[in-house]
Amino acid sequence: MTRVDDCLVHAAALAGLPGITPVRLVSVMAGFDPVEAWTALVHGRHPADPDRRFGAAARATDPAEVGERYRRAGVQILLPGAEQYPSMLVDDPGAPAVLFAHGDPSVLEGRPRVAIVGTRSATPYGRQVAADLGRDLAFSGVVVVSGLALGIDGAAHAGALQVAEGEGAPPVAVVGTGLDVVYPSSNARIWDEVVARGVVLSESPLGTQPLPKVFPARNRIIAALSDVVVVVESHHGGGSLYTVDAAARRGIPVAAVPGSVRSRASEGTNGLLVDGCIPVRDATDVMVAISLARSGRDAPAPAQQAATLVAARGKRAMPPVGTVGASPGVANGTPTPVISEKGRSVLGAVDDTPTLFETILLRTGLAIAEAAQGCDELVASGRLLAGAGWWSKQQPGRSGAGEAAVAPTNRG
Amino acid sequence: MIATIPSAVLIGVDGKHVSVEVHVSNGLPGFTMVGLPDAAVRESRDRVRAALLSSGLAWPLRRVTVNLAPSGMRKGGAGLDLPIAVGLLVASGELDPGTVTGMAFIGELGLDGSLRGVPGTVVLAEALGSHVLVVPEVGACEAGLWGDHPVRSAPTLAILVERLLGHQPWDQPVPPHPGTCPAPGDRPPGGSASRHGDLSDVQGQRLARRALEVAATGGHHLLLVGPPGSGKTMLANRLPDLLPALERSTALEVSRVHSVAGLPLPPGGLMVRPPFRSPHHGASPVSMIGGGTTWMRPGEISLAHGGVLFLDELGEFPTVVLDALRQPLEEGQVRVSRARGSTAFPARFILVGAMNPCPCGEGGAPGWCRCSESARERYARRLSAPLLDRFDIAVRVDRPDVDDLMDGTPGESTTVVAERVVATRRMAARRHVLTNSELPGATLRSDAPMSAAASKLVELQMRSGMLSARGLHRVHRIARTIADLEGADDIEASHVYEALLLRCRRDLLLGMEQR
Repeated sequence: MTRVDDCLVHAAALAGLPGITPVRLVSVMAGFDPVEAWTALVHGRHPADPDRRFGAAARATDPAEVGERYRRAGVQILLPGAEQYPSMLVDDPGAPAVLFAHGDPSVLEGRPRVAIVGTRSATPYGRQVAADLGRDLAFSGVVVVSGLALGIDGAAHAGALQVAEGEGAPPVAVVGTGLDVVYPSSNARIWDEVVARGVVLSESPLGTQPLPKVFPARNRIIAALSDVVVVVESHHGGGSLYTVDAAARRGIPVAAVPGSVRSRASEGTNGLLVDGCIPVRDATDVMVAISLARSGRDAPAPAQQAATLVAARGKRAMPPVGTVGASPGVANGTPTPVISEKGRSVLGAVDDTPTLFETILLRTGLAIAEAAQGCDELVASGRLLAGAGWWSKQQPGRSGAGEAAVAPTNRG
Repeated sequence: MIATIPSAVLIGVDGKHVSVEVHVSNGLPGFTMVGLPDAAVRESRDRVRAALLSSGLAWPLRRVTVNLAPSGMRKGGAGLDLPIAVGLLVASGELDPGTVTGMAFIGELGLDGSLRGVPGTVVLAEALGSHVLVVPEVGACEAGLWGDHPVRSAPTLAILVERLLGHQPWDQPVPPHPGTCPAPGDRPPGGSASRHGDLSDVQGQRLARRALEVAATGGHHLLLVGPPGSGKTMLANRLPDLLPALERSTALEVSRVHSVAGLPLPPGGLMVRPPFRSPHHGASPVSMIGGGTTWMRPGEISLAHGGVLFLDELGEFPTVVLDALRQPLEEGQVRVSRARGSTAFPARFILVGAMNPCPCGEGGAPGWCRCSESARERYARRLSAPLLDRFDIAVRVDRPDVDDLMDGTPGESTTVVAERVVATRRMAARRHVLTNSELPGATLRSDAPMSAAASKLVELQMRSGMLSARGLHRVHRIARTIADLEGADDIEASHVYEALLLRCRRDLLLGMEQR
C-alpha cells in the first residue's frame, strides 16, 4: 500500500469513528497527517481528544478493512489538497475534512454550477418548474447540483438527465447518507444515473443512515459548490432555507421561483423574493444570475456559451429557453384529441393551483357525470393532472417530472 | 315433591331450552343448585327467597334441590329467577301443578317481588315456541315478536300468582306483531322524525351527497376523506335515514341481536329502522367483533347488522380491529369461537369510514399539507390494502365553499332522497338481490349489461392501466346503481364516468398525484 493510499484509508476510518461529527473530524485532522492522527488517537495522545473518547473505537477498527470496503463499493476518498477534491471547497470555511465520491468528481471543474433545491412535498407546479430548469440548464452546459431528495431535488435531477448523455453538463448530487444507502429509495434510478454520468458526493462514511441531522450539514456543501442557488418551492421555515443561509454566508447569490401567494409550498420562496432574492422565471434568468456571479472571476462568462447552446438547441428541436410552454395544442408530437364542450368548460374552471371537484362543479354548473367525463378526457389528453380529489393544469407538452427519458418534442 | 318448569337461557344469539327441576323433600333445610349454573344463576337463590317473602309467599323450610337440565350446558343470566320461584311454589304445594301446565317462564326477580326484563327475550321466546310464555310486563312486546304463540305477562310475582290461580284476569294478550312491520322496502315509520338531522342541513357538497345517495341505494361501502370540519361525520350520520325500512326477516334478526346485547328495543319490539353504530376508535377487537368470557355478546359489527357501521377517524383504529373486519365484510356474518363453543352473529352492514387525508389533516391539494412524504405514507399504510379494497366508493370531502354556505338554498331533504332510494332499490330486487353491491361478479355482464359506448370506455380505461380487473367489477356495480337512480335500462357511458369518479382509489389517501 502506498503512502497516499494509507492516508486515504485512515481518513475514511477517522470519518467512520462513532460519534464523530464533521466539525470534530476537522479538529482531529487539523495539523496532522491522517495516519498520524489515527496513531495518536489509538495511543490516546491526540490533543484534540483529551478525554480519549475515540481511542477505544479506533483500537477496535482495522483501517485496512475500512479501505477494502470503500474499494469494493467503488467509492473514492477525497482529501483537501488532492487533485480530485472540488476546488471550490478548498477555501471554504465549512469544507469537509474528507469527502466521498461515487462517480467522477472532476465534472465540477471548469463549468458553471447551479444548485436547484426545494421542498420535499412539492406541488406539480414546483416539480415541473424544477424539471424544466434542470433540463434547460444542463443542456446549456450548467452543472445542476442538488440533494437527490424527494420533490424538487429529484425533479431537478430528472430534468437534467433528460439531456442526452455527452451533451450539456453532467449532474452532481450531494447526499446526506452514506454512498451505499440510497435514500429515498424511490430515487434509486436517478441516483444510479447521476453516478454513471456525473458524481454523487457525501461527507458521511459508508453505512450512514438518513438521520435528520445529516441533511442540514449536506446543504452547506450544496451551497458551497454552486455559483447560484435556486429555490423552486419552499414552505415557511422549510429545510431548503438552510441551503439559503449557507449560501448567504458565503456570498453566493440566491434566486427563487415565484409561486402563487395562496400556495403554502411557495411561502418560503415568495418570502425570499420579498427579501430581495433574484426572481427566476426560467433558465435564462438563472444564466444571467450565473454570469453576474462569475464575472470578475477566473472562469469564462457563460453567457456567450449559453447563447451558442441556445442556438444549437434549434437543431434538436427543443423549445428555446423562455418560450417553454408557450404553444399549447400539440402534446408529445401527436395532435391532441378533440376536446368536448364539457372538457372545455372544465378546463376553464381549473386554476393554476389544484382545484377541487366540488369547485369545478360549482364553476361549470355541469352535472356530476358530465364534469367527471370532462375531467377524464382532459387527463387522458394530458391537459390535467388528476390528484386526490383535485385536478390541476398540466403544462402543455410535458410529461410527468419523474420521467427521465423523453423523446424530443416537435416544437420550436 | 317435584316440579319441572320450562325456561330458556342465552347461548350466543340463540336461546336454548332449559328445564328447571325443583325438588322439595324432608330433611335439613337447605338449598342446592346443580346443572352448571354461573355466578348470576347461583345468586338467584337469595333473590328468589327475598321475592317470595316480600310477596307474602312462603319459603319452604325443607331441603330444596334445583337442577337445570340439560346439566352439561353452562347457564348464565338472571332469567331463571322466575322459573325457579314458580318451581318452588309448585313443588312446595303452594300452587297446583295444573295451573302451570304448558307454560314456560322467563324473568328476573327483584327483592320486592317485582319482575324485571331479561336480555334476549326475543330469542328466548323463540326457543320456547310451543309453550304459553310468561314474561315480565316489560318484555311482553319482545316475547311476542316471534311467531304467534300466546304470551302472558305480569308486573310482580304476587300478581302473577293471583293470575295463575285465576283470581285475577290476565292482561290483554299481546297482539302478534306483523301489523307494525311495514312492507319491505318502505320508508320506516316515523321516518320524517330523523334521528341524526336532515340531509338538507348539508350545504353544497354535491359530490359527497351524491356518493351518500349511491351508497344508500346500492349498499356500497363508503369512505369519506377530508380535512377536519369538512362535514364527514355530518354526512355519515344522515345515511341511516336514507335507507328503507328493514324487511321482516332482517328486522327480526336485528331485533334478536339487539335483544341479546341487552339494548332497548323500540316500542312494539321490532327494529324496523336500520341501526346506526359509531364506535369510538378506542374500540377493542372483542367489542367490534363480538365475544366475551361468560356470555357471548354481539360486537358492534353485529349491532350494525342491517344498517350502518360508521368508523370515524378510521386511521386511528388499531390495525388489528380494522383487519378483523375484513372477513365479516366478505361473508356477512362473523363466527366467534371460544373454548366453550362458537357462535355465528349476523353482520351485514354498510361500512362508512371517515378519515383525514394525512396526519396534519389538510392533505389533498398539494402545497397545503405540511406533512413529510414519509409521514403521509405511514398514515396511508394504516389501512391495509385488503381493507381499503372493501370500500367501493371513496370521495374527497372538503370544507364547503363560502359562496355555498352563504347561498343558503338548502339541498334536497332526507325525505326526498330516501324516497328515491326506496324506489330505486326495487329495481335491484328485479335482479334477485337486495342491493347492487351483492351482484355476483360472474353474472355481472348478463345481469347489468352495458351499452356499446360504456363497454368501449371501460375497455379503454383497462387498456391504459387506469382500471384493474378487480376495479372493473366495482365500477360495474356502482355504474349499475347510478343507472338505476337515473332510471336507465342499460349502463351508459355517463354512468361509467361517474362510477370511475366515485370508486375508491388508494391515492385518495396519500394526497399525491396519480402516477
